[in-house]
Amino acid sequence: MTFRVPLLVKLGALVVATTGFYTYVGQMVPQKEVYPPKETLIKADISTAEMVTIGKEIFEGKGLCTTCHTIGKAPPLRFPDLAGVAARAKTREPGMTDVDYFAQTMYEPDAFIVPGFNPGMPTINKPPIALTDQEILCVMAFLQSLGGTPSVTLQTSHKYIGPGAGVAASAAGGGAPSPATQAQPPAGAVAAPPGVPPDTPSKEPAK
Amino acid sequence: MKAMKLKIAVGALLAVLALVATVRVAVYMVGKHEYKEPERIAAGSADATPRQQGLTDEQAAKEKKDAAKPYVEAEYRAFPKIGSRVAIWIVAQLHLLFAAFVLAVPIFALIIEFIGYVTKDKRYDKLAYEFTKLLSVSFSLTATFGAALTFMLIILYPKFTNYMMSVFSPTFLPYVGLFFFEAFFLYTYYYGWGKFSPRIHLLLGLGLNVVGTGIMLIANAWLTFMTSPAGVSEKGAVINLWSAIHNYTWMPINIHRIIANVAFGGSVAGAYAAVKFLQATTDEERAHYDWMGYIGNFVAISAFLPLPFAGYWLAKEIYAFSQTLGLTMMGGAFSWLFIIQAVLIGNLFLGANYYLWLGMGRVPGAGQFQKYIKYLLIVVTLCFMVWATPRSIIATVSEVRAMGGAAHPALGFLGVMSAKNTAVNILILTTFMSFLLYRRTGKTPTVSWAKTGNAVQVGIFAVAAAIVISLGILGYFVEAKVRIGLSVPQVSSVLLAMITITAIDIPLYAKAAMSGEVRWGKIPPISQYVLIFIAVTFTWLMGLMGYVRSGLRQHWHVYGVVRDTSVDAFTPTLGFATKVVSVTVILFFLLIGFVFWLSSLHDKDDWEAEAKP
Repeated sequence: MTFRVPLLVKLGALVVATTGFYTYVGQMVPQKEVYPPKETLIKADISTAEMVTIGKEIFEGKGLCTTCHTIGKAPPLRFPDLAGVAARAKTREPGMTDVDYFAQTMYEPDAFIVPGFNPGMPTINKPPIALTDQEILCVMAFLQSLGGTPSVTLQTSHKYIGPGAGVAASAAGGGAPSPATQAQPPAGAVAAPPGVPPDTPSKEPAK
Repeated sequence: MKAMKLKIAVGALLAVLALVATVRVAVYMVGKHEYKEPERIAAGSADATPRQQGLTDEQAAKEKKDAAKPYVEAEYRAFPKIGSRVAIWIVAQLHLLFAAFVLAVPIFALIIEFIGYVTKDKRYDKLAYEFTKLLSVSFSLTATFGAALTFMLIILYPKFTNYMMSVFSPTFLPYVGLFFFEAFFLYTYYYGWGKFSPRIHLLLGLGLNVVGTGIMLIANAWLTFMTSPAGVSEKGAVINLWSAIHNYTWMPINIHRIIANVAFGGSVAGAYAAVKFLQATTDEERAHYDWMGYIGNFVAISAFLPLPFAGYWLAKEIYAFSQTLGLTMMGGAFSWLFIIQAVLIGNLFLGANYYLWLGMGRVPGAGQFQKYIKYLLIVVTLCFMVWATPRSIIATVSEVRAMGGAAHPALGFLGVMSAKNTAVNILILTTFMSFLLYRRTGKTPTVSWAKTGNAVQVGIFAVAAAIVISLGILGYFVEAKVRIGLSVPQVSSVLLAMITITAIDIPLYAKAAMSGEVRWGKIPPISQYVLIFIAVTFTWLMGLMGYVRSGLRQHWHVYGVVRDTSVDAFTPTLGFATKVVSVTVILFFLLIGFVFWLSSLHDKDDWEAEAKP
């Protein structure tokens, strides 16, 4: 007696084997869970050196800067390499200080495009990235450290924020929270109701 | 013999069930009758209140607490065991798969019916009816999963659902109205087959397609708004409903979905024909279902070829809306997903070509073209390998050191867009060439300009391939902003080549001499398994791309407007995502198997009680 595998079993095996193969391929690629960006507590009295450290954390994390920018890599990834940017920022646009230039690149990124690159930098103080004014000051401090001497403090003012705005916001606990900080808000940290549209508006233009 | 097989199958199933039941009962009995130390309250801590008084006080306290309980609007609710995200994911994907099938089949059923009407060939009418038979149960399943999805969204994500309702409430009643008309047209089209004049029936089919497309456009507005919101204020309040509907990704998704639905629907209909072919007991049945499978596959591959171009447009609009979103897709968390996609699409191309090559055997005189197949196979395989080559390679630290970076010194060059764009365009051209060879099998052109026509076609192929390859190489030597623009002439040259070659081929072979009739049904059974493999791969691909479209938002319900603060506000690993996709695909094929079975009942003889002696 010869036993022939029923057609239904063959078809089922084909479906399971095909999906199984694709599942296997899915396990072969790098596995990484991506969590919402962590919030960094910025106290009103932090030093410039501490701002550089925090700025670096934001640069590599919440700010998503490393998605497009490199530091000391040739050729650059998508946007300009930022090694030595502190020196270039002082002369990039006539009549503009490095602080004003850095501020412009983050608050109004399309105002000036580095020659040889496409526009595409998002507005950093608007969602989805939505850095706060003081977080942006910390990133500026970090950028100043790349080939220069950091001078930014939370008292630093520029075209987009008035004098002391960084300190006031930090003391009041401004900024957008992560779910973790909402659950257990640290003293002086950010507090905003979860799940509601963020205070900072959407930057995306209407079509 | 059949009874014996059935007994073996049922016996094996019962044995497994008995084993599971025994283990469960044993575990329960051991847990229940195991000796446990009695719990005793320490004498000193016992409450002195009389029992009845204590119970009354407890009840009063509970009532007081209940009366003072404030109303708190839930933001999220949890789905047991698998969690809300996975539950919604599976139900939404099943809804989309059935909806895609229900929207796609009427498109090509109507075209086939129209061909039958024009040519007066009844075979086409019968084929269109056979496709339509699959619709009614699928429509019910689409509606069921749609209702399940709606209720689950309301239950599990009430705040987000409420927000979407506040934006899109004016579109809901038209959606319901269109759904009613969809049911009207679908059932009239199906049950009215042969009952109306052909023109009226074709009009019913047209109505079904128009209404179905309308439903899809509305639903697409909701989901594309989540990815690329527009028409709302900075705080999320509605400013302009039309802008919210006509957001950046709405029209690209509409076009992409129509094409993808047809490709998917064709492949599933082809799988149905394959199953019927394998079950067939007569040559006549095999011939019919072989032809049906061929048409289903033809529909699927014809729609599949322009699909990457629609995908380019969608990706371009995503970048236009937000560079951050675009970079997350192609250069961030999801970049490796496109390697998995390359494996799937490569398999689809290999499967489609293999099926065409097997199909050449149906026609006498196929040997003339079969000698070219090995070259086509080499090109398809090489393109597949290039497309599936990642830019950076998973390697140990020592391997990375040896390579001088994560990118392989030689293969790394194949992992960039210049190589991949070139590979996919050559892949499309090769598959198109396979189809042309299949079309020519057993035919000899009789027109006086046959040689010239052939030469021109070969020339167009060569020029298109040369443009694609040259631009691909040029891409390595120009800066990024120029390189991005090179994909447009690459795609355009392939499209133009396919259009012009087809335009020449139709009159060239219009009155061709045939070396013999197409022997439908004379194809190896393996070809039918290839059709099923193609359908499973298409379904899996739809699941994967559905995931990236939705997952792209990462920790946002509506990107940049409504943030996800649930426990699932993170992007899972690709490995996890592929497991969910696989579960969904298997569930879909279990259900579509049920649809196939129900459809086949239509052809069975009516049940009659056995005559008693």
